[in-house]
Amino acid sequence: MFRQALYSLLRRIAKDKVLYLIIITNLAVGFATFVVLTQFITDQFNYDKYNTMYDRIYRLQLFMDQKENSEKHTWSVTAALSRKDLVDLPEIEKICLMHDVGDNNKSGIFLSVDKKNQLLIRYGYYADQTVFDIFTFRFIEGDPKQALVQPMSIVLSKDVADRLFPGGNALGKQVYGENKVVFNVTGVYENLPVKSTWRPVFLLPMLSFLNLEGWKGYDNDYWSYSFYTYVLLKPNAVSSSVDNKIYSALKDFRKEHHPYLRPMSKLYIDPYFLNTMPVIIGLVAFLSILILALSSINFINLQTANATTRFREIGIKKTAGFNRKQLWYQFMFESMVLTFLGALAGLFIAQLAFTPLNTMIGGEIFSGTFRNWKLVTLIFMVTLLTGILSGLHPAYIISSYNPVAALKQKFITEKTGGISLKKVLVTLQFSISIFILIVGFTIYRQTQYMLNKDLGFNSQTILFSNIVTNRKGSIEPLRQKLLQHQEIKSVCVSDYIPFILPGGDDMNWEGGKPDEKVFVRFSNISYDFVKTYGLKMLSGRDFSRDYNADGNKCLINETAMRIFGWKDAVGKHFKIYGRKDVEVVGVIKDYVVSSVYSSLEPHLYRLVKDSIINNGVYSVNFTPGMEKKAMEIVKKEFEQFFPEDAFDFSNIQFLTRNESAVKAFMGFRKIIALTAILTIIISSIGLFGLILFLTQRKMKEVGIRRVLGFSFGSLYLTLSAEFIKLIFISIVLAWPAAYYVYKVLPAGANKYNLQIWEFIIATLIILLVALGTISFQIVRALRVRPVDILKDE
Amino acid sequence: MVETTALSNVNFEVGKGEFVAIMGPSGCGKSTLLNILGLLDNSDSGEFYFEGVEVSRFSEKQRTNLRKGNIGFIFQSFNLIDELNIFENVELPLLAMNVQQSKRKTRVDEILEQMRIGHRRDHFPRQLSGGQQQRAAIARALITKPKLILADEPTGNLDSSNGEQVMQLLEEMNSIGTTIIMVTHSLIHAERAHRIINLLDGHLVMERSEKIFEPVRRII
Repeated sequence: MFRQALYSLLRRIAKDKVLYLIIITNLAVGFATFVVLTQFITDQFNYDKYNTMYDRIYRLQLFMDQKENSEKHTWSVTAALSRKDLVDLPEIEKICLMHDVGDNNKSGIFLSVDKKNQLLIRYGYYADQTVFDIFTFRFIEGDPKQALVQPMSIVLSKDVADRLFPGGNALGKQVYGENKVVFNVTGVYENLPVKSTWRPVFLLPMLSFLNLEGWKGYDNDYWSYSFYTYVLLKPNAVSSSVDNKIYSALKDFRKEHHPYLRPMSKLYIDPYFLNTMPVIIGLVAFLSILILALSSINFINLQTANATTRFREIGIKKTAGFNRKQLWYQFMFESMVLTFLGALAGLFIAQLAFTPLNTMIGGEIFSGTFRNWKLVTLIFMVTLLTGILSGLHPAYIISSYNPVAALKQKFITEKTGGISLKKVLVTLQFSISIFILIVGFTIYRQTQYMLNKDLGFNSQTILFSNIVTNRKGSIEPLRQKLLQHQEIKSVCVSDYIPFILPGGDDMNWEGGKPDEKVFVRFSNISYDFVKTYGLKMLSGRDFSRDYNADGNKCLINETAMRIFGWKDAVGKHFKIYGRKDVEVVGVIKDYVVSSVYSSLEPHLYRLVKDSIINNGVYSVNFTPGMEKKAMEIVKKEFEQFFPEDAFDFSNIQFLTRNESAVKAFMGFRKIIALTAILTIIISSIGLFGLILFLTQRKMKEVGIRRVLGFSFGSLYLTLSAEFIKLIFISIVLAWPAAYYVYKVLPAGANKYNLQIWEFIIATLIILLVALGTISFQIVRALRVRPVDILKDE
Repeated sequence: MVETTALSNVNFEVGKGEFVAIMGPSGCGKSTLLNILGLLDNSDSGEFYFEGVEVSRFSEKQRTNLRKGNIGFIFQSFNLIDELNIFENVELPLLAMNVQQSKRKTRVDEILEQMRIGHRRDHFPRQLSGGQQQRAAIARALITKPKLILADEPTGNLDSSNGEQVMQLLEEMNSIGTTIIMVTHSLIHAERAHRIINLLDGHLVMERSEKIFEPVRRII
């Protein structure tokens, strides 16, 4: 029986190519979208999994239980916690202490093989030798057991090794750092996978840290939060046991700060308990199921509609002795075959789409589906379930046809009014389509908002470079030379710039309770920092060369003023490091300091006048449209002023566009935009087929009305009235659900204001598809002779 | 709700091996009667005995099971399935009875030869003439060797030559013991039956056989 059913189906497909193309395309698009979104979700859980000790690796983090501190968690910790508090714990097998090379990773350091061709390399770390015991590094050259044992070793990733030593064979060779120190290459490793939360491009031994950074007593320091620590727990050890033991490790220093261990499995998805990624993943998972549901509902409706062409077959088979169960099996079988065909086509489409999708997202998210057996199994199970669920209703309806009526090919009349399964399915179809479109708009607008947010500073015409130098004195001569060029508008130096997050300290303030402290970020800036970065003064004044005493003054930002509860901050005082008393001379309007995602924190600025900072960032504001010329001038003048020191100027957009929250949201936005487009396609297919069928029954009535002289408008109303009603009902379902998504959407401190037009436009699109199909039907009806519609079937 | 009475007070008996023709104007209830006799439909009231068993209140499942193998149908418009070839169309009743594939093949080939359309087994209905299609439909009706054949205007869509062939086939089937009830508009064809029943507005108005006119016997 199934063989015959299969032959019959295949012949029907050959005969009715357009219809079955619609049915299979609908399923294929639904499955392809499901596969793509599932792959996207799976990818989020694939970070760091290449590490063989994955389940036992933890990162030391701090929870900061403070008023007004938005950054409640951090993985910047003190070295003392590792060297003193963790070292004797029986649960811990290995500890690795780390620190950025170059003070801050975004600025990087310069490496070269000949002291001339300096390469600015970002994301190098000092690390204990145990790093190779904890993480999985694949060495191409050298021995991991010896690689970081000697003080002036350097271990390079393949990318960096290839850049420094294009011919290969880096082992044993020398590399200059900032033209000041010499390292020996003791190892080269395969680039760590892109899906790594920690991805160093070179490593220096922690043994060298004291010599190179000059930081005496760093491993006893409980105050400076600039180190990182990873641990490998012993098998069967429990992290909560460690957490309990170190909870109060900082009680003598910062009693509100509590160290704890975070497992590697959470470091990408949810490092700080903010629930951001889980919400996004949950949303994407929900959308993927919805889209599959939408295409399944389409399938049900199209199959049920198509059944009207098979009345005769059903009547004949029933008269020939087929019972209802046999017919039910036949139609379920057909449903399963079509679903599997759709799923296969969907998988094929998804595979083809992976490469362009990866290019679009700018990542390696999508890879061969068939390599992931878990995903293949999931897709198989989903296909089976979809086939069964989608086939149930049509099979039930079809097999229950009265054979007499079926032979006469009479439409099965449904009760008018009331709730029918058909109406429920149609309403669901509209609701899901509208919901997905609104959510698509919402996410798109949110990311646009974050991308285009006014950062509060000049983020277009700044060139910057970090320079490590031993030179002392003032940058004034350099500044004057640069300003002689019309392409250069202003110059400054600072230890940090926007999007390179400075450190800070707990501070007390005038009018605050004696034991009340707030974490305040801290930057040292030269005179023209505010001018160069286009910052706005809210009150008071900027630092000025006209005021000699400005060396003992400070500027604060708007958020600091608000947190300290000062109505007028100018003239107020507070103590830095508990000792030095500084007076506020001006308040800077808030700007984005590190990430569009983070909320604003209090910030304090001290003046370095025009002094050269030995590890500082030099910023040059150039005339718009003159970047290339400005870059040439800057290079020439800096080479003359810092002949011994390396530098590499970039546009500040390098920092603002590569900030991780922005990048993540851009990728997410593209996925959602694609999902919304696919939803429109699937909805259109489904609505087209459904409306075609449902209006078919009314064609006789339309024909009669036409003969009687009814207008086009009135004919339109005859066909569309029921749908317009159902669309309004679907709004009641879709709009509140979409609003809920807006409320839970994680956007940090920067949620955009929802606008009603997003809801209206999404609804109008679906309405347009529905009404467009109805128009198509009416035009068809107008072409047919009334007598052909009215003659008895 | 407005109700229509298709049949009212229709009582008659058909003996085993009889050939009965039912006649009457359009809308008189002939097809409804045939559907009830073929267990495709139920009456609202009254009784129907099929081989001594009262079946009028049977469920759909029971009616289907009874129909299987016992009743064959021949329709005016042939009612062959377009997507199946002739072999597959004729095979249908055997599929419904879960007959093994090898046995199905043997019986279908046999009956197609009998109907002189064996050479058309792999063709589709639209490729056959009207007469050949009706012979295929008759083959399907006969494949299970049913006790009863119900024919609803079997010659209605055929020319006289093909119609005559169909009537000969029916007579042949009847001669070997198959009971036949045939609805027809053609008096010429009806007179080849043992008995003619006339319906008018849902009522049985006349019954005549090849012998003299006999009063209706109340069986139900």
